Parts: sequence; structure tokens; C-alpha cells
Amino acid sequence: METTRYNRQIILPEVGTNGQEKLHNAKVLIIGVGGLGSAVLPYLAAAGIGEIGIMDSDTIDVTNLQRQVIYNTNSVGKSKVLEAKERILALNPSIKINAIPEKLDAKNAISLFDYYDIMVDATDNLQTKYLINDACCTTNKPFVYGSIYKFEGQISVFNYKNGPTYRCLFPEETNQVINCNDAGVLGISVGIIGMFQANEVLKMVLGIGDLLSGKLLVYNMLNNDQQKFEFSKKHAIAIDKLSFENKYLKSKNSGIEILASLALEQVNNPEVIFLDVRNWDEYPKIIIENSIQVPLDNLEKELNQLDSNAVFFVFCQSGIRSKMAVEILRKNRFKKVQSIVGGAKMLDKLLYNETVLVS
Amino acid sequence: MIEVKYFGAIAEKTNCSDEKIVAVDLSLRQLLDELEQKHQLNELSFSVAVNQKIVQDIEKYELKDQDIVALLPPFAGG
Repeated sequence: METTRYNRQIILPEVGTNGQEKLHNAKVLIIGVGGLGSAVLPYLAAAGIGEIGIMDSDTIDVTNLQRQVIYNTNSVGKSKVLEAKERILALNPSIKINAIPEKLDAKNAISLFDYYDIMVDATDNLQTKYLINDACCTTNKPFVYGSIYKFEGQISVFNYKNGPTYRCLFPEETNQVINCNDAGVLGISVGIIGMFQANEVLKMVLGIGDLLSGKLLVYNMLNNDQQKFEFSKKHAIAIDKLSFENKYLKSKNSGIEILASLALEQVNNPEVIFLDVRNWDEYPKIIIENSIQVPLDNLEKELNQLDSNAVFFVFCQSGIRSKMAVEILRKNRFKKVQSIVGGAKMLDKLLYNETVLVS
Repeated sequence: MIEVKYFGAIAEKTNCSDEKIVAVDLSLRQLLDELEQKHQLNELSFSVAVNQKIVQDIEKYELKDQDIVALLPPFAGG
């Protein structure tokens, strides 16, 4: 490891050669190389973070340049991550930069997050922030959050050592919040908030100072007011592998349906209840230990006998009434409810006739 | 007296960053209902802090004199 380059930070007792070694061994993924990412990236690279992943599927637009200052005017039209990689390797060729010209989604998130130590949320929409949060919870990795609204910024560290998560702070998923493109922003503002994020990353790697875990820092760029708000972990909204997959992966039709084969993989999971909404006289009977039968017509009357926090896989004969049941349950605040594609007929085949092929 | 602080899009809607509410024996729910009505905050999503701590169970929270309430919406820009 080259040390001359890092001399001015190595001479800090809080860093030292040991600290520099930690930085060198760290792997950080920056999600989004827009305004925040352009601020975080060069400082992490210059400080000698050994491996940095940069993820963004966008190309550079001329309107980006007033705040995304790592790009040049002649970069317009080029891939953000490829351009950023070139610029950053010119700054520090002794580190590794992985350019990932993709959008983060539920399919690529888990393997990426497994590989890196720390994620930096430099995205510009709430949907992706919830995805980052849930994937971090699933892989047990921390993420450093930063976000802007005009002249105000928020910074926090989520899921650090099993600490509070983004959902503990903002449990309600909403998409009504506008981003920089729509609201407007000064380049300075994303720069300042990105610096706070980079600072949290370095402190986390070095193990110095106090992190913003369980704390939301709100910074006002117009009057320099800075406030910290504390929040604690809500265990009721913990995300694990099963709930991540159910929410993002094992379903089509925006999560309303689940394939019978995938539902049956959970047959021994005590948190999963198979709900049969057929009438009592319908066949084939499905014998599953964790199952109950409430005919669709009785469902609304008997809702209070069901645990709204449990995971329900609902089935009927072929999959039509069960979708209606899912709608009823979701309206009544049951969150983890899905209808089994193919219903009892498919379950019967899979359970009792192993030769059937499922597409 | 209760002080209320607004952030982000909420401060824009209320047209001020803070205001003082004269009230006795007010629950947090009552205060929020009043503010939501007064400033038409109904379509905005936010978390609530009292004295710099995020409140987990808004329905059960009783306010006391000198409390500082903050309405914190999530930001999305980056």
C-alpha cells in the first residue's frame, strides 16, 4: 500500500497506518453518481478506500453539470459511471473502481450488497431508498443516507450493527416527494450533504467518532441551522430474507400473486398461514399443517380472528376468489398477503403428484 | 405554549419554519389534526419528533408545556 499519498491523514493519530490499512481494505458501494455521488466519490477515492463500486444507468446531461462537478462539458451524453471511473482513477490510480452501468433493482441488490461493506445512498427517489433499506436489512449491511429538499438536507446512518433502519424513521412508503430535477437545487447543497455522507463512511471504516446511527441530522443551508433528531428501532417492521423476496421477487402482478411452488417452499414456516377461501364442500382437500379455511363469503365477518401481522398465502379452487380475498385483506391492513396462482388444483398437483411441471 | 417546527415541503406549505401554539392539555394527535387542517397538510407524509426524539406512537402521546414539536418529511433529492 502506497503511504506517501496519504501522509497528511496518516499523521492524524485517529487514522495512522492502521486506519489507512482499514480504508484500503474497505469496499463501498455508491448508489447513484449524480449530485450526492459526485461529492462522495472523489473524497472516498482520494482518502484511499480500496474498492469503490459506482452504480448508475444514466448518461450525463448538460443540466447535471451545475452540481455533478466530476464531469466535464465534453462528457455530455456519456455514461456517468464510465466517465466517473476515468476521472477518479486519474485522481487515485491505486484503488479499484467498479463501474456498474445498471439501475439498482431487487434482483441485483442482494448479490451486490453481499459483496460490499457499506452502501451509500446517493439516489434521488424514495422507492430506491426503501429498496436500499430492505436489501441492507436482508444482507445485514449498513447504509449512509443523504437527501435534499431545496436548501435543506438530511443525513443518517441506517441498519448499522442491527440499529434503526430507514423504515423506523419513515415507515410510510410514499412517492409524493419531489427530487432535485423537479424542485431545483444549488450544487453547493448536494456538495455539503455529500460531504457529510463521506464523513460518516470514513468514520465508520476507521471506527472513530460518533456515527449518525439512530439519529437524523437536518441541515439548513440558508441559515446554517443544524439539528439532530433521535429515533429508535421498531422491531415490528424488520425485514428479512423471506419478506424481501416476497415483497420484491417471488411475485408478479405487483405482489398480489405467488407461484404455488414458491408458496409451498414456505410450508414449514410457522409464520406463514395458508388460507383456504373455498366453501366447505369443495374438493380437493388440501392438507397443510398451517392452514385455515374461511369461505370468501364469511371472510369480512371473521377478519378479527386473523392475525394481520402474519404472512398469508390465500387460495381457492383456481385463483379468482383468492385474489378477491387478498384485496379484502389488504384493505383491512393485512400487509403480507398473496394469492396462490392456480389455487387448490395446483397445490394438489404439487403436493400429491410430483411429476407435474410448473412453469 | 408549544413550539412547532416545520421542515422541507411542509415548511413551504405552512409558509413559515416555526410557530408557537398556545394550548393546555393537548394531545399530539389533537395538535396534528389542528395543524393538518390549518395548513392543509393532508397529502403530505411526515414523521413527528417531540423535543428532538421521533415519536413512535403518536396516538398515545400527551404534550406538555414548552414541548418542541417537529414535522419531518422525507427528502428525495440527490
